[in-house]
Amino acid sequence: MKLLIIAGAFILITVLRLIISRSRNAGRPRNPLSALGNLKLFGDIGLIAGREIRERFRSRMFRLISALLVVLVCAAVILPGTQSQSTSERVGVVAGSPTLATELQAVARHLHLTVTIHSEADMAQAREDLASGKIDLVLEGTSRIIVRSALSATDTSPAAAFVRDIATLLGEQHAYAAAHLTPDQMHALAQATPLPITSLTTKKGITTTGEATALIGVVLIFIVLGQYLSWTLMGVMEEKSSRVVEVLLATVRPLQLLAGKVIGIGFVALTQALSLVVVALAVSALTGSKVLSGSAPVVILVTLLWLILGYAFYSWVYAAAGSLAERQDQVQSLVLPLSAPLIFGYIVSLVGVSTGSPSLLVTILAYIPPTAPFAMTTLVGFGEVTWWQVLISVILSLISTVLVAILAARIYRAAVLRTGGRVRLRSLRIRAPH
Amino acid sequence: MDHLLEISNLTRRFGAVKALDGLSFRIPAGQVVGFLGPNGAGKTTTMRAIFGLTDLEGGSILWDGVPVGPAQRRTFGYMPEERGLYPSMHVAEQLTYLARLHGLSASDAAAATSLWLEHLDIADRADSKVESLSHGNQQRVQLAAALVHNPDVLILDEPLAGLDPAGIDIIGNVLVEQAHSGRCVLFSSHQLDLVEDLCESVAIIDHGHLVASGTVDELATQGSRRMAVRIEGVRDGEWARTLPGVSISQVSGGEVRLSVPENVDSDAVLDAARSRGRVVKFDFERRKLSEVFREAVQP
Repeated sequence: MKLLIIAGAFILITVLRLIISRSRNAGRPRNPLSALGNLKLFGDIGLIAGREIRERFRSRMFRLISALLVVLVCAAVILPGTQSQSTSERVGVVAGSPTLATELQAVARHLHLTVTIHSEADMAQAREDLASGKIDLVLEGTSRIIVRSALSATDTSPAAAFVRDIATLLGEQHAYAAAHLTPDQMHALAQATPLPITSLTTKKGITTTGEATALIGVVLIFIVLGQYLSWTLMGVMEEKSSRVVEVLLATVRPLQLLAGKVIGIGFVALTQALSLVVVALAVSALTGSKVLSGSAPVVILVTLLWLILGYAFYSWVYAAAGSLAERQDQVQSLVLPLSAPLIFGYIVSLVGVSTGSPSLLVTILAYIPPTAPFAMTTLVGFGEVTWWQVLISVILSLISTVLVAILAARIYRAAVLRTGGRVRLRSLRIRAPH
Repeated sequence: MDHLLEISNLTRRFGAVKALDGLSFRIPAGQVVGFLGPNGAGKTTTMRAIFGLTDLEGGSILWDGVPVGPAQRRTFGYMPEERGLYPSMHVAEQLTYLARLHGLSASDAAAATSLWLEHLDIADRADSKVESLSHGNQQRVQLAAALVHNPDVLILDEPLAGLDPAGIDIIGNVLVEQAHSGRCVLFSSHQLDLVEDLCESVAIIDHGHLVASGTVDELATQGSRRMAVRIEGVRDGEWARTLPGVSISQVSGGEVRLSVPENVDSDAVLDAARSRGRVVKFDFERRKLSEVFREAVQP
């Protein structure tokens, strides 16, 4: 409950800040982000990027999505934490053995639970207490366990594990008794530990927190790329359809206009991703969540790196595609083929994360630039790559990005001033930008 | 030295269509130059070529003898035919942004924006979104976008289209002011009477090449002279048919308008008229620009 209050307060403060900043800006549209007006330092590209940044930060959609992402990130950090918190299990016992309480305490300790034993007069009373929620489960001696509702096979909570462990323990005790083992023999069996399993290749640095962070990272990359790439596409299309591109290109070169847009929107995307990471770390520190501990900081950095590389690669492609269309319906037919490698990389990586073992396909995809942002983040989360393997993938991605940017600039230049319908790639006279 | 924008031998094809076919003309500073031609003649392609917005297959565009490139275009102002502004951006912010792209500092851009919004009588809409403005006001903002960086050359594609008389007066006055302050001003229009009022000279093109050019006065007086003759009691122009080379262009309300070649002595026309009766009107008339245009672009 305490955690929920903290999370709720945080979200409330964030939303209030958004509302306040909006109302402050309402009466003076000229200067909400005046510092960005000075991006002339970086030439025309800086000015163009500055306009993109101002307009995007100011848009209602940006604020709405930001607030939503903040909520999602808070939930992703807090909820696993609440599940892993030590909780108390109340066990109603009818005619239990003298050692039962000790044995239950041992099982609970292993699961970071505390146990309270309630002696029940009879089964009728025990059932009544269970139904009313006074206790969480009933042990009828050592022969039967009763819970309020059936345990789901996918329920991995400590409470469910506690019930299953007790069931196993008591079942073993029955088996030992049936085999007429002596107390010493029973004790020796109870101390049995599984043999350690070793492999030829050792896994390095794998932690559950790293894997969890990789999962969050892959989802974050997908959401942020999806949002900002569509902004790039729509932004180029809107400049074309409103014909403002003709006024702009009378002054600046196509490559400058394109680069300004890509950099501006990319800056907003990175700012949002960084903000989310800061929020996640702050919430994690406030709530004592373990989700972002261990190898997770490395995975966070890798996530941000691949977010930048993924955006850099795809943004040119989406911008070039935007220059081919001038209406919303024309954009629809372009989006599907463009999104296919994104979705493919995302799904394969997600499956790899959820199965706990990234497949060979994930490893291959980690070196293919369109899918590397997801696959490489996954591999890093699982500690299955070394730094130089990441470096190779980064270099491949950077080289591809340069090549894609050159081609995209040529397509953009040839297509963005062509009006009167969707431009077919085949019909373009693609030349080097002047 | 007065500035000069020189367009020489431009050629551009779109498939089988020759949009520009060896087009050449000059835009001297200090004059409003009207750029005329029927639809599809190549006016917009020419204007876009000046700004590098269309690839040329041949020809050159020189500004004071130097080929026009990105550096020169920065000092040019452009108002395209299909207006172009960010619909959801505020007017003043948009103008400041465009001024800065043309190289003005932040403070100069803000000052120039205020100045032009005042001058074009839309200062009260500075904080409005462009999409919320009327057509006429959007047109003014578009003109301000072309002027806000104090350009040396002003190229305007149909700046008067769809404006009410007040809007035409404001924009027309700005064009004349700009020309008289030493800038090159070229604008296209199909409103020939307005062009005649505003322009010192015109360039008329058809099928991608120049078919007539010169000052409005020169064009109005060169070629066949127009004469208006009225003879008391004579309603037709039959008497003029006997004059060699003279053609009757209009007979209306007892007044006959004649097209008289330069080699025909006007006294011969007067004598022919007198032979029919008492001449009450015998007048030379200027050719209207619309007539010059029609003659120049005849198929």
